[in-house]
Amino acid sequence: MADAVYIQMPWWQLPLLVLMPLAALAVMILWLRRVVQKQSVPGEERDWSVPPLTQSGGGSPVHRWDVRCKIVTLLVYSFIIASLRHFAPACAAVCLSLVVSMIAKIPFSRVLFRLTALAGFLGLLLIVMPFTVATHTGDTVVVFGGMGLGLNLRGLILAATIIAKAAAIALLMEPLVSTAPLPVTLHGLSRLGAPDMAPQMVLLSHRYVHVFRHEVRRMAAGMQVRGFSMQTDMETLRAIANFLGMLFVRSFERTERVFDAMRARGYTGRFHAPGERQIKFADVCGVVIILSVGVALLLFDRMGLQGWPLCTK
Amino acid sequence: MHEMIKEPVSREPRRTIVLSAQGVCYRYPDGVKALSGIDMRIAPGDRIALVGRNGSGKTTLIKLLCGLIAPTAGNVRCKGRTLSAEHYDRSRLEIGVLFQDPDDQLFGHTVVEDVAFGLRNQGLPREDAHQRAMQALQQVNLATLAYKEPHHLSYGQKKRAALAGILAMQPKILLLDEPTTNLDPGQEAVLLDLLKHFKGSLLCVSHDLIFLYNICRRAVVLDQGRIHHDYTMHDLVSQRRYLREHRFDFSFRLVCLPADSASKAPASTSTQKNPPASGKMNPPPLVGMRNYAYQYPDGTRALQGIHLFIQSEERIAVVGENGAGKTTLLSCLIGLRQGTGDYYFAGMPVKQKQRKRLWRQVGIVFQDSADQLFNSSVQEEIAFGLRRIGCPRSAIQGRIGEVLSMVRLEGFENRVPLHLSGGERKRLALACVLAMEPALLILDEPTAGLDPQGQALFYNILKNFKTTILLVSHDMFLVNALTNRTLMMHQGQIIQDLTTRDFMRDKSLRGLNGLTFSLRQPR
Repeated sequence: MADAVYIQMPWWQLPLLVLMPLAALAVMILWLRRVVQKQSVPGEERDWSVPPLTQSGGGSPVHRWDVRCKIVTLLVYSFIIASLRHFAPACAAVCLSLVVSMIAKIPFSRVLFRLTALAGFLGLLLIVMPFTVATHTGDTVVVFGGMGLGLNLRGLILAATIIAKAAAIALLMEPLVSTAPLPVTLHGLSRLGAPDMAPQMVLLSHRYVHVFRHEVRRMAAGMQVRGFSMQTDMETLRAIANFLGMLFVRSFERTERVFDAMRARGYTGRFHAPGERQIKFADVCGVVIILSVGVALLLFDRMGLQGWPLCTK
Repeated sequence: MHEMIKEPVSREPRRTIVLSAQGVCYRYPDGVKALSGIDMRIAPGDRIALVGRNGSGKTTLIKLLCGLIAPTAGNVRCKGRTLSAEHYDRSRLEIGVLFQDPDDQLFGHTVVEDVAFGLRNQGLPREDAHQRAMQALQQVNLATLAYKEPHHLSYGQKKRAALAGILAMQPKILLLDEPTTNLDPGQEAVLLDLLKHFKGSLLCVSHDLIFLYNICRRAVVLDQGRIHHDYTMHDLVSQRRYLREHRFDFSFRLVCLPADSASKAPASTSTQKNPPASGKMNPPPLVGMRNYAYQYPDGTRALQGIHLFIQSEERIAVVGENGAGKTTLLSCLIGLRQGTGDYYFAGMPVKQKQRKRLWRQVGIVFQDSADQLFNSSVQEEIAFGLRRIGCPRSAIQGRIGEVLSMVRLEGFENRVPLHLSGGERKRLALACVLAMEPALLILDEPTAGLDPQGQALFYNILKNFKTTILLVSHDMFLVNALTNRTLMMHQGQIIQDLTTRDFMRDKSLRGLNGLTFSLRQPR
């Protein structure tokens, strides 16, 4: 066994110290989900006769930023965040991502929605890691008497660091994706060298995923009204296989029909660009600012605040 | 069978031909013959109705005429040149095709982007294409939804957006495949107006002869892949002999139109909004809803303040424009959704637990019957529900034969549901539901997309049923002929609850949601 500091605690303090904070976290996540749901209920129908980005927050610098610069910069910056090793710089990265979201005027409910989508997976990490990391020299382990369970504080900090990094990157996805129409973003990818077919497929998938979902719902309802319910028997398996088969056949047929409709309107294998734009000086400034912040974070992570307890490996 | 016409009737033989098919034959990849010996000429300004039974090859002919598929024999010519290679690429930009399902045609991220798609392919710069797309949207009254995503549009709006995408390209020839299917009468009237103002040649496939009569002057009849006749539209519609010959005699509708049929239907028990008096003599209503409401997760209030009481063996129609809440009401009745308020079925309150068992007593035939057919054979399809209600194996086969004979599908036991025609599928869906002997039978647009022969057959099957029926339809003939009480829905509420006879007599009520249109007569 490595030379670590062990703190003995009575077993009944386990729920108090570990499970109760986790339960509080779970309650908070549920509450956040409810807040998000409430906030996402639309009020009045918006005016669809004007382009969406000129009406809602289209004036932010992130909206005006050239999409190619935005993709490259935010992706590189995300890799920088992923390479952070300490908790404090990771927390700083979360704050910076929040600032970017605020500059981009992203609605708070959408930001919360991104985070709550990750919450389940990350919460599991927070539960498992403190109890499963290998004990190294200098680690502090809280041992709950009689149960043989050791909570490693380094594991807890490691889990918190991973969570902070994941949150910081997830928060950047909203400014990346929702500050330009999807076709513009995908066209930007094409211009950065991605094969033409990939963005086209994403674009069509985005359009038809809604149609597909609607079809799945209607077919599932068709089964339900004739008494289908999930059970663990061959009959259920057969019904599900038929359902999936029928769904596949219908999707295949729709694909052919969509392709026919595209050809009938002159499609010859290429979507036209939604609009060309030259990279301006302001776009380059944006790249420089964000990447400088990223490099500063990296330096802070690798060299700064050595004495700070949360900056230790 | 009558003698087939080899040469199309040409009323104005000297005119230029914009599109023609000469000796066109087509076989599907599996070898099935779809079309043979098709000779057809379309001149500028021609307005042609292409009619025929389901499966007669109408859609295949449309695909051939616009060059989406190549004929196995013969040729298709556009402006005198065969549709192939470079000429094909140029020609298809002048031939607009409106497909049956608008979702197949709207692949853009926003409506305006979709409408501009064809224009960009015609070589227009982005700004010009955008401007023309906006004009086309204005033409179909959708300019206010230009930046909406297509999947958020209603069905009628999608159909108009798809038409805008075609009209924007200013085609010389417009080919339309079932343009009115699933549209409510109001939307149908809008479409009719748009097509009336189209200046080029037009070829329209539809089972709705009255709609066709309003926009077409010539009728080409297709049967088993061959052109059987090339009449004037007037000749076709006015001669019942021709209609019968080609099995699209819709005159059964005209016979029943006077609003007398309600008296022949089972006696109406109530038209009151309130529940029957709580006297000890009255049996509880089969369905009772008090102050029922339903709100979608996105906040849309689909149903509000619903008071509905249905007695056993009553026949009720639910009418209203698209989006009035009819389908949501059906979903609640059958237990697919649960709203707030009181819902009683056969005197028992329907809560979460009972809701999941409602399928045993309530049967529904969906608007698109393909949504409820997922088995590999007709008998498997019917047996699916029977096994769920616990019908003994020995009785299943007998019951299958019984219901197949009720819906006139004897001998179809081993056929694949997916390969049946639209009308056969609809009747199979009905058979699946009837096999389970529901106390309440719900029919959602049962005749939509059926040819007149299929409609007549479906009507004849339904009129003899003794069970409680709830019919949702825009078809005023069916409403009049099959029901004795009509509920009118608007913005999620039942705004009128009266006898069908009163409803049919009240022109102001029928006109409220454009329903009058479906009673229109050929001019």
